[in-house]
Amino acid sequence: MEATPTENNLPLRYEGFSSLAEALDYAAQGKTGYNFYNGKGELDVVVPYARLRDQAQDLARRLLGLEVERGARVALVADTHPDFLRFFYACQYAGLIPVPLPASIHLGGHKTYIKQLHRLLINCQASIAVAPPTFIPFLSEAAEGLNLRFVGSSEDFADLPKATDKLKPLEAKELAYLQYTSGSTRFPRGVMITQETVMDNLANIARHGVKGRPNDRCMSWLPFFHDMGLVGLVLAPMASQTSVDYLSTRDFAMRPRLWLKLITQNRSTISFSPPFGFELCVKRLRKDDINKFDLSSWRLAGVGAETIRAEPLMRFADLLAPAGFTKNALVACYGMAECSLAVSFAPVDRGINVDRVNGEHLAESQKALPVKDAHGSDAAIAKSFVICGAPLPGYDVEVRDDHGRKLPDRHCGTLFVRGPSVMSGYFGEQELTQEILSSDGWLNTGDLAYRIADNIVITGRKKDLIIINGRNIWPQDMEYLAEQQPEFRTGDASAFSVSDPNGEDIAVLVIECRETHEAKRNNLVNRLQAEIRTELGIDCFIELVPRNTLPKTTSGKLSRSGARKDFLKRVADGQTQDPFNAVHAETLMKKAV
Amino acid sequence: MQNIEDLQEQLCRILTPFVPDGLDLQAETDLVADLDLDSMKVMDIVVDVEDHFDISIPLNILPDVRTIGDFVLQLQTLLKEEA
Repeated sequence: MEATPTENNLPLRYEGFSSLAEALDYAAQGKTGYNFYNGKGELDVVVPYARLRDQAQDLARRLLGLEVERGARVALVADTHPDFLRFFYACQYAGLIPVPLPASIHLGGHKTYIKQLHRLLINCQASIAVAPPTFIPFLSEAAEGLNLRFVGSSEDFADLPKATDKLKPLEAKELAYLQYTSGSTRFPRGVMITQETVMDNLANIARHGVKGRPNDRCMSWLPFFHDMGLVGLVLAPMASQTSVDYLSTRDFAMRPRLWLKLITQNRSTISFSPPFGFELCVKRLRKDDINKFDLSSWRLAGVGAETIRAEPLMRFADLLAPAGFTKNALVACYGMAECSLAVSFAPVDRGINVDRVNGEHLAESQKALPVKDAHGSDAAIAKSFVICGAPLPGYDVEVRDDHGRKLPDRHCGTLFVRGPSVMSGYFGEQELTQEILSSDGWLNTGDLAYRIADNIVITGRKKDLIIINGRNIWPQDMEYLAEQQPEFRTGDASAFSVSDPNGEDIAVLVIECRETHEAKRNNLVNRLQAEIRTELGIDCFIELVPRNTLPKTTSGKLSRSGARKDFLKRVADGQTQDPFNAVHAETLMKKAV
Repeated sequence: MQNIEDLQEQLCRILTPFVPDGLDLQAETDLVADLDLDSMKVMDIVVDVEDHFDISIPLNILPDVRTIGDFVLQLQTLLKEEA
């Protein structure tokens, strides 16, 4: 077996496709394609775009044989597996809407995963649901009681009859897919992206973001159910006729050196990761691993999906410099599923650039004033932010204050974007859509930012989102788990994150508690921590506070930012245990044993 | 074929570095609730178990593993399949 080649026999074409099906029709004329590697780093499955197109069209006819209406949703458990790609593109040819579902499961997390799949199947009103064979037991259980036309694996499709009608692929104005924001498991939001929307973003990513070259080859371990994994490393390479090598997310998390081994072996030029991936490599690589790698081909190491800090990336660059990694390859990006994927890219070949500003001014007046001497007298008050580059062509960008007024350069506020890559809305959630997408097309990103001329600098992420080990955790999911305990009621809990001295996030849950008995309180905390680990796979610091401690907004809703502020004050005043000691010291102690 | 007691002893040895000091590991010990294992630590353990037994642990068995006893039973099945 041989992987698909890097060099293509087809003129590269980045633009002018009206749909994903049209882009695949073109890519299928060349020799490039998708390649899958197993947990030992061995080549497992090769799917050239040409073969993928044939397989997708064959499957499309079988999907149509199920006689569902055009635009019906096909839920796909998006494990890193060639079947996902076959079905995703089959939907494109069949006029059906693919909906990638998460394939991440935790130790002891059977029930949680079933519930999550169940909610998503309901939310997208799926007619058909497909999973690789190993996930079928979960999918079947999740689909119980739902009136789906068909639930099965690729193997089951071989027995289905084929429709003989001519295939009518999804067209420019039709949806391309529904993307669940890598968000709340309990309150899912399915981003609706049309063909013309995603095609616009893909063309801009290739032309202006990564500045595609004929010898490009991509490498990815990002999950297929995340925007960066799906749009950035599945759709974008296909739409620019580029070969990709895949390693499953789990295999990367277990053995991060495989990422670098495959880049070395395949002479990959483009690979993306959240900061977490680079940090994991730094933690796990052994000295004698380094000289086994040759990363000199890696011209673009994209970083996105979380708040980017320069220091851990520099540690990665320094560690791997002897293996030929150049720190200029690092490219900071900013984007979100609601914008298909990418909003801005820092320029390629320039590395990570930071803006050092006066932290006191920023906190007091929301002005990001540059400090002159970051290593001298200003060092103590300097705060560094990574510059995420200029918006891709077609985007209008504004930073606004809380009253909706447009702010000038270097004033920090909420980032709004408008342009042809922005979503049509959340599926079946008109109210949620109206909250963040105005009738004239402006999307409230929820991120805090300032601008320096064309450049976007993100200073804080979507207010409430918690990111632990590269995974997005929504505070409402943690609060819900607390409120499910018999001791608590709805509105008793507030969740948020604080960063420890190393800049790592710690999840915090503050709960109003009537119980005064010490042992019972401890028991309650332990029980809840265990449930949060089972359901969400993270450690959490829990603080029990007296009734009426949590601050409310004027409309009577709990204020998470207020709760966070109060909490930090209590920590500073010594009124509560310090989570850096409680959680962090505990981890450190365990590691030392 | 390895018996349950042997497997449990080997598994507990692998788990020891991940466990709070002085905690006694039993078949009924709940890996998530009792051992404070977050998802990254679970990955580390899976790597160690795979390397020790020279097997590949399919992702889809993890959701049904809650206790050390559950893990041992899954290991026994996997080792039988490999043999």
